[in-house]
Amino acid sequence: MPPLLRATHLTKSFGAVRALRGVSFELEAGEVHALLGENGAGKSTLIKVITGAHSPDSGSLEVDGTQIEHFSPREAHRHGIACIYQQPALFPDLTVAENIALRLENPRAWSLVRRRTCRIRAAELLKRIGADISPDREIRNLSMSEQQLVEIACAIGVGARIVVMDEPTASLTQKEQHLLFHIVRELRASGVGVIYISHRLEEIFTLADRVTVLRDGASVGTNPVDTINENELIGMMIGREVSHIYPPRESRPAGVVLSLRNISCKAGGVHDVSLDLRRGEIIGLAGLVGAGRTELARVLFGITPADNGNIVLNGKSITIDSPQEAIAYGIAYVPEDRRRHGVILEMKISQNMSMAIHERLFPGGWLRKAAENELAQRFISQLGIKSSGANATGETLSGGNQQKVSLSRWLATKPTVLILDEPTQGVDVGAKSEIHKIIRELAAEGLAVIMISSDLPEIRGMSDRIAVIRGGTIAAMFETVPDAQALMAAALGHKAA
Amino acid sequence: MKTTLPRELPLVLALVLVFGLLALVAPEFFDRKPLMSRFAQEAPVLIVAAGTSLVIIVRQIDISVGSQFAVSGIVAGMLASYGAGVATCAAGALGAGLLMGAINGLCVATLRLPSIVVTLATMVIWREALRLTQQGQFINLPSGFQWFGLTLESGQMIQISAALALFSLLAWFASNVSAGRFIYAVGSDAEAARLSGIPPRITTFAAFVLLGGLCGIAAFMNALQTPQVDPKSGTGLEMKVIAASVVGGIAINGGRGRLWGAFLGLLLLTTISPALTYLHVEAYWEKAVQGSIILLAVIAETIRTRRV
Amino acid sequence: MRTALRPTLVRHEVILAAVLLIEWFYFYFTATSEKRGITFGFGALDSQFDLLRHSVEIGLLALAVTPIILTGGIDLSLGSTLGLCSIVFGKLWQDAGAPLWLAGLLTIVVGGLAGTINAGLIAKLRLPPLIVTLGTFSLFRGLAEALTRGTATYTGFPSSFLLLGQGRIAGLPTQGWLYLLVTIVIWLLIHRTVFGRTLRAIGFSSEGARYAGIPVNRRIAAVYVFAGIIAALAGIIYTSRLGQAKADAGTGYELYAITAVVLGGTSIFGGTGSVHGTILGVAAIAVLTKGLVYARQPQEVGGILTGALLLLALLASTFAKSTFYRTRTAKTLTAPPQPKLP
Repeated sequence: MPPLLRATHLTKSFGAVRALRGVSFELEAGEVHALLGENGAGKSTLIKVITGAHSPDSGSLEVDGTQIEHFSPREAHRHGIACIYQQPALFPDLTVAENIALRLENPRAWSLVRRRTCRIRAAELLKRIGADISPDREIRNLSMSEQQLVEIACAIGVGARIVVMDEPTASLTQKEQHLLFHIVRELRASGVGVIYISHRLEEIFTLADRVTVLRDGASVGTNPVDTINENELIGMMIGREVSHIYPPRESRPAGVVLSLRNISCKAGGVHDVSLDLRRGEIIGLAGLVGAGRTELARVLFGITPADNGNIVLNGKSITIDSPQEAIAYGIAYVPEDRRRHGVILEMKISQNMSMAIHERLFPGGWLRKAAENELAQRFISQLGIKSSGANATGETLSGGNQQKVSLSRWLATKPTVLILDEPTQGVDVGAKSEIHKIIRELAAEGLAVIMISSDLPEIRGMSDRIAVIRGGTIAAMFETVPDAQALMAAALGHKAA
Repeated sequence: MKTTLPRELPLVLALVLVFGLLALVAPEFFDRKPLMSRFAQEAPVLIVAAGTSLVIIVRQIDISVGSQFAVSGIVAGMLASYGAGVATCAAGALGAGLLMGAINGLCVATLRLPSIVVTLATMVIWREALRLTQQGQFINLPSGFQWFGLTLESGQMIQISAALALFSLLAWFASNVSAGRFIYAVGSDAEAARLSGIPPRITTFAAFVLLGGLCGIAAFMNALQTPQVDPKSGTGLEMKVIAASVVGGIAINGGRGRLWGAFLGLLLLTTISPALTYLHVEAYWEKAVQGSIILLAVIAETIRTRRV
Repeated sequence: MRTALRPTLVRHEVILAAVLLIEWFYFYFTATSEKRGITFGFGALDSQFDLLRHSVEIGLLALAVTPIILTGGIDLSLGSTLGLCSIVFGKLWQDAGAPLWLAGLLTIVVGGLAGTINAGLIAKLRLPPLIVTLGTFSLFRGLAEALTRGTATYTGFPSSFLLLGQGRIAGLPTQGWLYLLVTIVIWLLIHRTVFGRTLRAIGFSSEGARYAGIPVNRRIAAVYVFAGIIAALAGIIYTSRLGQAKADAGTGYELYAITAVVLGGTSIFGGTGSVHGTILGVAAIAVLTKGLVYARQPQEVGGILTGALLLLALLASTFAKSTFYRTRTAKTLTAPPQPKLP
């Protein structure tokens, strides 16, 4: 009997990045199969291939022994594959019943909307999964977890046989989590195969039958859940250190330049963060995606200012209420989303680089093209930015080069505190090393650097100290760089053995 | 669980307030004859407001409706002056409207040009073309054309009933026919619509064509009310119907709002002028009051949705 | 899909300039006649000056709305602001007996206040510019009508004042110099200052601009206030040109202004555009409209051609894109215009 789903040697590359390197994976009917791995390990790419959003470069995918010829969301749908993403793809302005109806069928334009039928069916599905949601509510008025439940109702409604859940409990309360577990067990009991992606080891042990660990685009192993323990799982996730050479820690941390005490920001989901940043030091902020690292950075940069707590800069108590203020205080933030926040794609490299230092570079308010070009040339050569020149627009650059432009913009502000959010994400190996070298040099020159990274080897290789963020606050503080096991355990919230 | 008050609530309150005030201070506002007359006059506008609401819901805009209205009216008038029967004139007006709507729809949906500029261009083109051919001349309609040859009273009744019937049909369509829901879906999230198998471009095109057709019908209805067709009719129509839609709770970002809201919005905005007269407030305050209502409506809507 | 369009934009304005020249020479040769050594018709100096006079007010509004559109916004209320300011000016001078210079100054302040209302609602409350300015379009016109009780107009201005709109300085119509001055100021502001650069950044990506430390709300507020001030100036010039302050002054001007701006190559979505494009757009429309009058052609043909030109200009900018596809996040600053349909 062939397994419900079988993926064989799937490979997928995006440009220079090899996201999947020959992954094989199987799912049985009536099984909950957990998928575990660090960020960038290949989990989301694997899921995207399974759900037809991407087609693999090589390898095959079979459902019930039938090969999938053509990869598209509709094909996946046809084979009974449904996915519950973290960001539900529902129509915000339509009701729950309408969303379910649109998802479940392809209505013809001139058909009558059978409101009562739709509502009854929606209510039925919601009841089946035990969700207490009225079908007449608009999606935009639903909480994240309620939207997720609607998505699950849709999946059940279409009679999906393979349901993929991507971090489903990320924003759920205890009660909602229990409800979800119940639903998952029901699905399993009815013969559905569930692929369950989660970082929460307790969940995996509670819910899953088998667990597969991905690392660097390959499968490290599949084990039944009762034959393995947490530490072994963590060990599989992090594996051996890739022999990447990080620049030696030449900088010597000096005095405290920025002090945070009990920083909270409700809107940002950050609470009670206390941290000291020293000149010449690189502090790594480790943690899972969504743990609150970027949110903390945004508080420090004034995008979502702190409601409570104290910030002391060079001995003076300050408040940071806007990015302008942050910049004036010498705080710079290289954002995670470089296409939306790091670089303005339609503008030239030179224009992007000068964007944060207008007052300094253009005193009196008049643009000075010569000064701007000179700035651009300096950074282009210093950071090795490959482009057709300072006049090239941001969108003509590769991801890595865009990142360098984003970095240049903030380096030009000659900051005291530099916050880097995933600085080498999507950047090729060569550029990565260059950026690492530059970061260490900056620290050596006396900057206080905060480095947010989901890349464990990177954060261990670059940081002098590491703070682990979980649930919007500092869960653990490592004054010296811990081993990968301990670090991952802390990020997961698991007490390392 | 987040609950929301119906979006049209402040509007209903405002209407109750205005009508209440009038009932107390100037009950002659509700006299049958002038009331019917006003309703009959606004009946065509109501039709156009329905179509405009749908275009706004699909996340576009059409500021050429005034010109479409004028052109369709002249087409009907010309057909009538050549001796065509009433039905033919209606068909002519409808056809002209559909054609103009299709041109807008083509530019926006197929060529993917921004609707505000496209309809700005077509507004100017149709208006100027009309001025060129008509030179401001009215077209005299044959006797017997007006009000279908019936008395003023019956004619007005028919106009109002027909307009309400058509409007109700459109409102029903928007809620109960899948094509109507497609309009909401595309306006809410065009990409999600596409992934669900709803064609965003065809839906958008259809909304513009529908609006054009409704302009045609409205123009025909309007032609029935006077012995002549005025090529300058329809001036300011676009601002009126857009304002009515927005005041009625149709969100400019698309995907939301009920057509009956636009009905109430139009009711409020068109009541202002006569209300001012009856309340012995000088008529020259009309525009200022209308403008304030629009601003208040959009502020209220934002407060309502942001608090949620 | 939008790109920086820098090389393409140069082409757009060059083509528009060519169209303008073709128009101008066409009318020069077909609508000009000579009699006893005096030139009549389009080519006559007086006609050209007349053309200039008529285009100054719309030109000023077009200059005023260009920065707004560059940030991705829109302003439909400028014509009404012009009318309101015309009346305020007339009223201050005639009813309040204020000296002309004071009336002018206060009128400019009123224009700024009108702009501030727009600015407050759009920048502070983050309401959609299309609807806000639709509301103020009615409100300001309504205030103008209310101030005149619907009928009054103000006339009888001293000839020293009429010099502004009807006279000449150094051989050119007076308001022409003012137009030139404002053009230079706005051109420098948009193309040579940091302020202008930040406007473009906001137009391309307001979030991206924010993360770069640009005070987005302040900039957006500023452009609406500026526009109000310039509209006030246009209102004063209008009053001087006609010798009369009327409540319906400037009706329909805002749409003309926006037409000129888009014709000139500025994208309605923001970011891309130029002041010289706007000036060329205003000139192209003016020459076309007035030229037809001198050529004894129906002037409506001008309107039709303007509309057609506008569509062509749109098509031109839409198709002159790079092949680099980029998905856009939904923009709602001027919703509509809308993100492209998938």
